[in-house]
This record gives sequence, C-alpha cells and structure tokens, in this order.
Amino acid sequence: MAGSISLKIGVSGVRGIVGESLTPQLVCQFAAAFGTYTGAGPVVVGSDTRPSREMVKQAVCAGLLSVGCRPVDLGVVPTPTVQHHLLKVGAVGGICVTASHNPIQWNALKFFGPDGIILRQNQAAELTDLYHQGVYPRVPGPETGRIARDETAIERHLATILAAVDVERIRARRLKVAIDCCNGAAWAATPRFLEALGCAVVGLGLEGDQPFPRNPEPVPENLGELCALIRREGADIGFAQDADADRLAVVDQAGEPLGEECTLALAARHVLARTPGPVVANVSTSRMIDDVAAEFGCPVRRTRVGEVNVVEEILRRQAPLGGEGNGGVIVPSLNPCRDSFVAMALILEALAAFDGSIRQLREQIPSYAMLKRALPCGPRDVGPALRRLRRAYATEPLDLLDGVTIRWPDRWVQARPSNTEPIIRVTAEAPTREQAAAMVQEAAEYLLGG
Amino acid sequence: MRELKIGISGVRGVVGPAFCPELIIDFACAFGTWVEGGPVVLGRDTRRSSTMGHAAVVAGLLSGGCEVIDLGVAPTPLISYAVRELRAAGGLALTGSHNDARWNALKFLGPDGRQLNAQVGEELLDRYHSRDFLQADWAGLRPIAEAPEMVERYLEFVLAALDVEAIRRRELRVAVDFCNGTCGALAQQLLFDLGCTLLPLNEDPTGEFAHPPAPTRANMRQLAGLMRYLEADLGAAINVDGDRLGLVTAAAEPLSEEYVLPLAAAPRLARRPGPVVTNLSTSRMIDAVAAAAGQPVYRTPVGEGHVLDRGLAEEAVLAGEGSGGVAVLPQSMTFDALLTLGLVLEAMAGGASLAGLVGRLPRYPMRKGSVACPPDLLYRALDFFRERFDEAQPDVSDGIRVTWPDAWLHLRASNTEPLLRVIVEADTEARAEQLFGDVMALARRAAVGSQEV
Repeated sequence: MAGSISLKIGVSGVRGIVGESLTPQLVCQFAAAFGTYTGAGPVVVGSDTRPSREMVKQAVCAGLLSVGCRPVDLGVVPTPTVQHHLLKVGAVGGICVTASHNPIQWNALKFFGPDGIILRQNQAAELTDLYHQGVYPRVPGPETGRIARDETAIERHLATILAAVDVERIRARRLKVAIDCCNGAAWAATPRFLEALGCAVVGLGLEGDQPFPRNPEPVPENLGELCALIRREGADIGFAQDADADRLAVVDQAGEPLGEECTLALAARHVLARTPGPVVANVSTSRMIDDVAAEFGCPVRRTRVGEVNVVEEILRRQAPLGGEGNGGVIVPSLNPCRDSFVAMALILEALAAFDGSIRQLREQIPSYAMLKRALPCGPRDVGPALRRLRRAYATEPLDLLDGVTIRWPDRWVQARPSNTEPIIRVTAEAPTREQAAAMVQEAAEYLLGG
Repeated sequence: MRELKIGISGVRGVVGPAFCPELIIDFACAFGTWVEGGPVVLGRDTRRSSTMGHAAVVAGLLSGGCEVIDLGVAPTPLISYAVRELRAAGGLALTGSHNDARWNALKFLGPDGRQLNAQVGEELLDRYHSRDFLQADWAGLRPIAEAPEMVERYLEFVLAALDVEAIRRRELRVAVDFCNGTCGALAQQLLFDLGCTLLPLNEDPTGEFAHPPAPTRANMRQLAGLMRYLEADLGAAINVDGDRLGLVTAAAEPLSEEYVLPLAAAPRLARRPGPVVTNLSTSRMIDAVAAAAGQPVYRTPVGEGHVLDRGLAEEAVLAGEGSGGVAVLPQSMTFDALLTLGLVLEAMAGGASLAGLVGRLPRYPMRKGSVACPPDLLYRALDFFRERFDEAQPDVSDGIRVTWPDAWLHLRASNTEPLLRVIVEADTEARAEQLFGDVMALARRAAVGSQEV
C-alpha cells in the first residue's frame, strides 16, 4: 500500500507489523538501546500469546545480552504482571512484547523503567535518541550474561491483588462469571484468579496456543460471543480482556455490554467510597467519572491521552485511583499501571457489597451517549482546523490540554488529531444520542471550515 | 588482528561491536532465506556469548518462517547428524570452536550435514549482502521444536562405527578434558557403553575455559599434569564443540595434534580399507599408515570443507587434518572428536599402550612458524617463493607446498591475521632445522618487500 507506514516509534514504544516492519534486527537494536538506557542489570521480559512472540522475544534477549543486561524471561504473562514483577524483584527495567489491543498481525515493545512505570515522554525520547545514534556499549563475550527464567510472576501478581480485597465477602456471593480472554496473555491466570475469589467460571478465549478468536479490543462490537455465553449460562457478570490484559470491559447479567467507559466509573465509585481523594483521567474519558467523583466530593484531574500521563498525574496528586475510558483502571497502591485484574477485583468487591445485579449497580451512575467520528485530515491541515474550532467556541469553556475540548456541565465535545493516522478524532458525550450526534456534526463543520 | 572474518565457511568474530547480535540475525535471516524457510537444526556451544548468539539466531530463523529444531547445547557433529536424520533443510552451529573465549562464530551446514561448500557459501554471502530476506507474516511463523531423542541415536551411530566388543574387553581408564564444553555428558555415556572408566576434567558445560580450547600440546598441560594421579591409560582433550581431539600418553606426555589422524587411521583402514584425504599441511605420518594398508592419500587445501569434499569424491574412508579433526567417511559429515576418540580406543584394543602405538609411527621432525606480513605484500611474498622453488614443481592450490624426497614445506597466508605461516617436516632433525631456518629467513625478507636473496 503506497504511503502507508506500518512502523510506529513513539512514546508508548515500538509497534509494527510482523513480516513487514517489525523485523528482528529492529527489535534487537531497540532492546540494545533500552539496555544502554537502563545500564547493566536484570531486565524482566514478558509477552502476550501472539504467534510472533518467540521471534520478537529472542531478538529482545539478544539485544539486552549484547549490552550486558541479564534478561529474566517471565514467559507468557499480562503486561501488568511484568510491571508488578519488575518492582518485586528490583529489576533495572522491563520489556513487554505485546501489541495490546491491536490485531494479531501487529506486535510491539512496551518499555518500563525501574519504577515499573511505562517510560515517560522524556525517557522515551532518550531511548529513541540512543536508538537513532546506533552506538551501543557491547560487552565482551566472556562478560555476556545468561537468560534466567522466572515462572512465579503471575502468582505473585495475583497474590498482591487478592491480599487487597475482601476475598471472603466476594466468595460468599458465589458469583458465576463469564470471561473472554481472547486467547491472550491472561488465558490461564484469569480463571485461576476468579476461582480464588470463589466464582464459578465459564469462559471463552482460553486457548493460549491459538490465534485470537476476535479482534482483541474489548469494545461491544467484539464481544458478541461473550454476551451469548452469559445468556446461555445465566452468568451474573461478564469480563472481557484485551490480548495483554491491561484493559477490561464488563457485560451485564442480561448479556448487554456496559461499554468500556463504565469500567473506570464502577471501580472509582467503589474505591472513592472508602478512600476519597482526587481521581485522574485523560481528556477523552467519559464524564461519568465527574459524576462519581462529585458523589464523594472529590476532584477530577484530566491529563493528555496516554497511559504514562495518567500514571504521572496519579503519583503527583497522590490519587487513590485513575484510569482511562478504554477500560484501563490504575490503582497505584497495587500496580502503577492499567491492570484488568485490579479492575475485576474491585468490581466484584463492589458487586458483593451491593444488594442487586451488575446492571443495577451500573445504574447508580448517570448514563450518557458517546459518539465518535474520524475526519480525514492531512498533517498540514490539522493546525488550521483546530484553530477554526477554537475560534468558533471562543466564548465557551475551552480545555486545550490535548486537542480542543469544550466542556459544558452535562456534555462535552472534543477534537484530537490521531497519533497514528492522518485523521482528527471528533468525540461528543451528552445525555442523549441525538444531542451527541448534533455536537459531533457541528464540530465537524467548524473543523472542515464550513 | 581482524575482529570479524566473514567467509564462505561461515562468520567468525570477537564478540562485541564486531560480532554483534544484529550481524548474527542478518546471517540467520540470510540462511533462513537460503533454506527457503525450511526446518533448521540449531545447536550451540557452552561459552557465555553463545546464549546471546543463540537468541539472535532463533529470532532471525523464525522471522524467515523456519521451523527451528533446537538441540540446545550440542557439539557440531551431533548437529550434523541430526540435520541428516531429521531431513532438515540445514543446520547451524553457534560455536567459537577452538578459538578463545572472546570469539564466537556461526557454522552453516547444508541438508547433507556438511559445512557449506565454496559455491553455496558464496550464495549465502550474496544473500547476506543483499539484505533481501524472506520474511514470514504472523501466520507463517513456526514454533521452536526440540529433538531430545537425537542424543541417544547419535551415540548409537558412533558405536556402530566402532569395534565395541574389542574396546569393551580392554576396560580402559580414560581421562578426558572437556574444556567445560559440549561433550561431557555425551562422552560419559559413550565411554560407559565402551566399557571404559571416564576420569573427567573440566566436564561442566559452563563455558568457563581453564585454558584455551584448541587441543594443542600447550593447552593439554593441565591434563598431562594430572595423568600420573589418575592412573589413566589414555588422556584426551576434546575442544568446545567436539570436532577436534588431542591425546596425552599414560606417561603424561602430550602428543602433537598431528598424531591423531594417523592413530585413528590404523584401525579404520584395518577394518574398512580405502583412500585417506588430508590437507597440504598435515604430517607425512598418515602416508606411512596408508601405505602399510596399501591405500592412497590425497591432499587438499587447508580446511574441513576441502578434505571432506575430496574425501567424498574419492570414496575415502577417512578425512582429517593435522589440527586433530578427523571425519569417518562416508558416515560423518563433520570432524567428530568422540568418534575419533573411539577409533583411538579401538587402536589400543589389541593391548598396545598409546605410547606403543606412537612408537610404531615414523618420527618426522616438524617445525611451525609464522612471519608478520602486511596484507598488501602477502601475494608478492607467496609469488616470490613460487619462483624460488619453481624447479621443485610446487603445489600452488593453497599457498605453496614444495615436496622433496626427504622433506616438505608449506607456506600460506593466514585466513585470520596478516601472517605468513610456515610449516616444514623432514626425515631428520638436522634437515628440518636447516630448511625451516632458510625458509623463515627468506619469509622475513619477503614480508618487508625485499626481493634480494
């Protein structure tokens, strides 16, 4: 395809299509650059279940070893497990081989610093500089290390979470839970985790050696099978994870997806009731989080889109929780990253403490309609388009943190250029679908210069 | 010294900036493309950098859609055997072989288990330089397979080439220095099956070298020093990837590597008469052994590929070099130290000691030396010798080899360093000394560009 570039080197790591742009040479060089950045020492390495995992992981290990790092291979593990383990063993860094919610032909490297946090913007920039410089301090043969294996990462990760929730209370509710792990990194861990919480588990996507049976992004249109399973089995709740199990979507007992925007709102409502404090979310996250925070008199801090921005703000504000509307829940006391296991535990604990169904629990929070549209827009036209939008809404409450967002008391509309494609994403959220549609249409007209 | 040597027989270098994982991945990709994404048997030696190199090779082969059959830590002859048994498209050994711990290398084996010959090696190099590699998409990637049964079958294969009963009857005590390489576990089982008692030294596969790995006399001093305490009938040194053998007598005398081929040849030719192939630098002792069996000796340029190719062409029963590497033909497609050790044990099965067997061989004094020579003068220096010895009708297939009734001389450029190597062998010490002295003096002058003699 002329003009299409499948390689993306950015703040969240390196991503490409296997057999096209994500070559072992490139992966090896990035790993060598990362090892140069961290310095010699143990580096934990995990992967999701993609068929390209072994090729990419071996290239990662070769690059790390060549600059004096000692890879600790965690095997197939969720991304949050890599970050949790990194902190537990005091590694100098971590790499997860996963393209997360992207389709199976993709793979990627996510890089974590010694604090277990995905590299911050300036750190990622330094890594990229080292890569582009292309000069790595290779160690002599007799000083290169070996690859260690550590299969305890999942156990330790789950133990941390189980120790933080009221297991007995959840067990007493004897919930029947339907899961869809998408044959991803959590295929073995999720059933074990839920069984430890006394749940009866019925599941889909539990074959870690098979390709993804669905698009891994846990959005409603990809969850038809799980919804059918819930209805067939009469489950109390359904959980869907993406390929590396950092994100979670919830489906109700009737087999209706709540939408991935509800995951953070449900978890936040449960956490804030016990631990009030500021909540952090990115600018694109549903305003349900504002309603939940207001219920407990807590402020909401918005950040630019990108997990690391949310994590940084959480730490700066000492927030008990934060996250993203894509189903990412972050509880810093448990793990400094999006963690679908943390999200499941909190939502089950909330459900166990609530006298009613997951649908009724969800209805404790106001509902909104959210609509999205992608407007084709070349890189040179982005600036003028956003300026037109700003001018049109000059007297309205503007938020210019990331793109342009206009926030009214019960609705908002936003235009953000995509990081990866020549488009502007227009999003609106309002009490009704019609209102949201009208807002998207109006903003699109301003953007296009109508 | 050059830190990287890319040639038709493989790629070899000092691990670090020169022999780096990206280079290894590129070569693995080139090889994966050459085998058209077919199955490849992979093994590695025990040195530390082989872990890094192994990961790089696996990544490169997998990216081309190859099925990687990983033998893990394995000697080169086992990899070669598995390539043939598993009908793989090729084999790859990650081993610095006899080079010191700073080095590592990739040896490429074709579907017949043999190192790539010059023609095919060129193809691989062209592919490497073109950077045009086969790349499988996600659905075309294959998993990593293992083949643990190959160890047992390889040992059976080695035993099948030996007179097991004769060796068993001797109940020999054999001290072996493995240099912490790949052969410790295999040799333990092999010697048990041969009814021998193994007295192991440096037998852990840790890759920590107590001495340089080439089985030369100097490097066998540790083993020789222990012989009197071990009360062994025989001492043997096997290099890290199991292709070369060195020998020490019961009286703790380390033998030159030149003895390995003639000692192994006697029992082989006794049971399976046929031609022997060796290189131009190897001692004439093999000629005496072959002549006693009524068999011819053919000589080739230096290099395992050359002697094996010629050996197969001549339907030889043995091919080897003075460096201690010997292949039993037509079965073996690489030098095989364990099988060679088996032949030496078979030679002793009649009751003779190793020193006794050595005593039966003619004693030809040999001298080896080298002279530093700038690369731009190497060709002229060799040319000078070619003219100088023109009336003796020298063999010029690899440097220059001159043969007289009572001596021979081999002069060649080193493959790895800007050196002229000089080897002289003669019937008497005096003749060897005189010839070597003359040639070294000439070589020193030729190496500085002087044509005066």
